[in-house]
Amino acid sequence: MTTGLGATLLRAGRRLLSSLPALFGVLVFTFLLMRVLPGDPAVFFASGPNAGKEEIEQIRKQMGLNRPVPEQLVFYLSDIGHGNLGRSMMTGQPVLKDLRERLPASLELTFTALLIALIAAVPLGVLAALRPGSIVDHGVRLFCALGVCVPTFVSGLLLIYVFYYLLGLAPDPTGRIDVFTSLPPQRTGFLSIDFLLAGDVEGWWAACKQLILPAVSMALFVIAPLARITRASMLVSLGSDFVRTARSVGLSWHKVVVTYALRNAILPVITIAGIVFSTMLGANVLVEKVFSWPGVASYALDALLSSDYAPVQGFVLLMASLFVLVNLVVDICYGIADPRVSIE
Amino acid sequence: MRFVSFRPATSVLAATALLLIATAPSQAQTRAETLRYVTGSAVNTLDPNIPGSTRESFALSMSTYDRLVAFGRKQLNGKWVFDLDTITGELAESYDVSPDGLKLTFRLRKDAKFQDGSPVTAEDVKWSLDRCVTAPILGKAQLLTGSLTSADQFKVIDPLTIEVTLPKPDKLALPNLATVYPMIINSKLAKSHATADDPWATAWLKEHTAGSGAYVVETFKPGEQVILKRDEAWNRGSANKPAFFKRVIVQSVPEPATRANLVERGDADLVVDLQASDVQSLEAKGKLKVVSTPQYNAITYVSMNNQMPPFDNVNVRRAIAYALPYDDMFKAALFGRGAPLFGATWPDGKPLNGIYPFQQPVKLDLDKAREYLKAAGLPEGFSTTFSFNVGQSSTAEPMAALVKESLGKIGIKVDIQKLPDAQMSTQINEKKLPFYTEGIVAWLPSTDYFYRNFYTGNQRWNYSSINNPDLATIAQEARFEPDKAKYEEAGRKLNAMHADLMPQIMLWQPNQDAVMAASVEGYTYEFHRQVDYRDVSRK
Repeated sequence: MTTGLGATLLRAGRRLLSSLPALFGVLVFTFLLMRVLPGDPAVFFASGPNAGKEEIEQIRKQMGLNRPVPEQLVFYLSDIGHGNLGRSMMTGQPVLKDLRERLPASLELTFTALLIALIAAVPLGVLAALRPGSIVDHGVRLFCALGVCVPTFVSGLLLIYVFYYLLGLAPDPTGRIDVFTSLPPQRTGFLSIDFLLAGDVEGWWAACKQLILPAVSMALFVIAPLARITRASMLVSLGSDFVRTARSVGLSWHKVVVTYALRNAILPVITIAGIVFSTMLGANVLVEKVFSWPGVASYALDALLSSDYAPVQGFVLLMASLFVLVNLVVDICYGIADPRVSIE
Repeated sequence: MRFVSFRPATSVLAATALLLIATAPSQAQTRAETLRYVTGSAVNTLDPNIPGSTRESFALSMSTYDRLVAFGRKQLNGKWVFDLDTITGELAESYDVSPDGLKLTFRLRKDAKFQDGSPVTAEDVKWSLDRCVTAPILGKAQLLTGSLTSADQFKVIDPLTIEVTLPKPDKLALPNLATVYPMIINSKLAKSHATADDPWATAWLKEHTAGSGAYVVETFKPGEQVILKRDEAWNRGSANKPAFFKRVIVQSVPEPATRANLVERGDADLVVDLQASDVQSLEAKGKLKVVSTPQYNAITYVSMNNQMPPFDNVNVRRAIAYALPYDDMFKAALFGRGAPLFGATWPDGKPLNGIYPFQQPVKLDLDKAREYLKAAGLPEGFSTTFSFNVGQSSTAEPMAALVKESLGKIGIKVDIQKLPDAQMSTQINEKKLPFYTEGIVAWLPSTDYFYRNFYTGNQRWNYSSINNPDLATIAQEARFEPDKAKYEEAGRKLNAMHADLMPQIMLWQPNQDAVMAASVEGYTYEFHRQVDYRDVSRK
């Protein structure tokens, strides 16, 4: 127990090192994939009403596409080494700048959605497990099924229709902040935090209002896996010897369910939450589109449709790094939730 | 041990509901003086000359920069549209065309100033036009269509006079100077940011403006939004006063349904890219103003590759032209919102006039189509693919299904192919698609311009890959034809050839449906198919 934290950190460090080759592989693979895909970005971007062969060549040169692929790869890798992810043709900005501006938006949305999902899913799962087969259990199952089978953009549009269009309670679904509100000085990039740091409560409230609907529509979709896994794992845990013993010695309900059963049941939930988080970050493109959220996923989709290589590569690299990071965090959470976990 | 409360769930719901109950939004008092324009695309550069710039960037530059001249406007079926034939001065106070048509002389306004306060001089004009024809930017290919190709053609006569010389009397030289690209840049400011590699300051101008236009860029977030502030000193508008709106917000809202909601709720003032179905329902509700203008400089085609079997056979192309269910396609794709280019009757089998695009004398007639297939030696039909790009799927998808169904009836088996936009443009450029739908737009729509750019040469915009020397010669000669009657005659000849050879099938000109708050006035359909913010005002 004394070396618990040290062991966790050591394990985390080793994990991080061992993921570097994977990251490199992702880098090279995405690079090659983008070039193998049919679709020439130069032709696409030379779409002015009079753009001809000369313009296409011009763009090709500008993007470095006139060189042979291996040479392009070497240039690309050396650029990455210098922290340069290239320039997006679509926005005309360096990819690094675009991602740096857009990632906090995606993270803020995903964190909020995950938080809402966890707050809703864990109690629901526990409730269902406490009364398996009861009305409550069936109710939870129905709710989960509904959440999963309604795609996020449908629930998003539905929420907009009800709360914005019909009731007028929500602000217009156009991005992170009302266009008429002035932005706080950028510190973390998370608007809800930046507004608080700037002491602007009204602004903070405005940012939160913008965040609620997209976060809820994303959360609805992931409540199901989280609640189901909580339920399953709670059932196992509630049926185990130590809970029976705890009950038989007359421990309080709270102590039995929360301290013993839930703490033992939470490991798989953390795993799933980690996976869900990574998936949400990349896959929330539909929510981002519906709510005009300036996040990384919609940015990558637009880039992919127009064969804009640099942003797509940058995005995949970012996602891979985040995935590594999330896995690390999950590992560390394991150690905290269950100090016995120390095996590689 | 009893635990039958829904407390966690209910408290989450309650918290959500609480958060949603909005405190009254603190709208700025200037809301009425602000135009909020929402669009599915986005501004990606402040200089429209940069390869890859979007239509929104074109529109933005019209307000941030002035040109020497501008198009006037006229009413077409009760709606305001740009007028190619009326060219008025913008930075030029007046202009003269020499009798032989080879010299254009522009006299600049004495009071015109750039946004940094320095006066607009002939030197600035020359630098800007030189940049347009010399730098590797989009303006080069555009000005070429008006015989403007070299910096030698622009001469400073005195600080307020500039002269443009032409090798031939080209009708399109003057209109070209009113298009998006030849904007007048503050040359001193731009030059101070030029580098040895980039003598025309393209990198700097992409993110900064140095113009004399009606609006100053306040904030620019590429891909998200641009906020513009009125330049109070600007007086190039129709009534010699600044533009109406004090602020203009151009915001990207990718989801069309959300754009429709925004404008219906009054949160957005103007939108031009809604789905046809949304426009129809908004129009039916009657709360908003809907101005629908057929995009008379744009055409949607069904194209066939004239070099690729079986479409190299004219009878196959004719068969297809008689086998398309035009009316159903028009309704399914556009809800009938546009100008049809099919179903005309030519009494003596000759074109009604020399204007392109024209309504073609074709309609759905399967018997006739079968006859043509038989004449082509393919009575049993054949198999082919029909492609369209993802970006147009809302209109092209229902259309493709109808094409497939109808051609199936005469034995032509069609596979529908939906391609990502970049892939589609690549394949068109490489001439690999046999049969597809695509659209075109011409900024300066004249008959010879259409035929020269869209029906000649081995280049991307020749969708049908037609290679007909007669057609090319007539179109080239028409370009410099000063006699109106002869020009009309050439146009009739070209149209007759088009109807006979049927290189591709013109379907329609889709409407530009501008949906706006009832208080917004003055909307004009512009050549760049976007809103010119200087046109609009509020009642």
